[in-house]
Amino acid sequence: MKTKKLVFISILVAQALVLFIVESMIPVPFIAPGAKLGLSNIITVVSLYTFGLGDTLLIILLRIFLSTLFTGSVVTLLYSILGGIFSVFAMFLIKKIGKDKVSLLGVSIIGAIFHNIGQITAASIVISNINIFLYLPVLFFVSIGTGLFVGAVSKYLLIHFKKINLFNNM
Amino acid sequence: MKSFDKIIIVTLIVLASVSLFALKIYRNKDFSKKYVQIKVQGEIYKTFDLNKSTNMDDIIVTTKLGTNVIKVKDGKVGIIDADCPDQICVKSGWIDRPGENLVCLPHKVVIEIKGQSKDNGIDIISH
Repeated sequence: MKTKKLVFISILVAQALVLFIVESMIPVPFIAPGAKLGLSNIITVVSLYTFGLGDTLLIILLRIFLSTLFTGSVVTLLYSILGGIFSVFAMFLIKKIGKDKVSLLGVSIIGAIFHNIGQITAASIVISNINIFLYLPVLFFVSIGTGLFVGAVSKYLLIHFKKINLFNNM
Repeated sequence: MKSFDKIIIVTLIVLASVSLFALKIYRNKDFSKKYVQIKVQGEIYKTFDLNKSTNMDDIIVTTKLGTNVIKVKDGKVGIIDADCPDQICVKSGWIDRPGENLVCLPHKVVIEIKGQSKDNGIDIISH
């Protein structure tokens, strides 16, 4: 791995962690269990468009591991990992299938939805109860909103990232 | 916004709306009997009948994971206090219809309302 790339990946992980901490400070209205903005997903989307699947997975796993250290609750590790992996693979697939017909917005909406699906899957395993999937329809509506927001932010972030020469040869 | 984005959004809205609608119809069905089932860490902790005039003393569930205080008032069930960090179960409010549930993930507490329909006595909510 080139040093430049290594540094850039570290910066992305750090940014995702900051977003994660900032998000926990923003009070959100209670709509459904598990509904939140998902600001860290901005970094996941950006990384998926800058690097590929492998490096994005690395970034997300590092972020989850470190945020678990920060918050100190190991219980949430399973939810985060399943949510994170589900969303990365779903976004990668939709990007591959859609090619130039799909934009950042669609990709990040899919990411938000599959993050929820992953987390609910983890939760239903933990409490061994399948009925909590009934929260999914409401979460779908929330995901469209948060996904559009995350997609729009990533779009502007990527425009500025592309200006930096550094990233052209990675 | 590109063509695929629109397809994604429309598909999701349709999917979510249809399933919400189906849930609503199901929950408004006539049930001859409703009962509440409280499960803690996957095991049944308590089961009791629920009707419009059900009032009970607060049920306090304490495990090594933490404590939840469950209140049953006027045929509605809610978690009024919990010592979990996210307080999602408390914020979820009150439930009174079959198929609805309250979940406290950190404490692995699940409260479900189940219904028995009039025609057959069989519990129609799958487990």
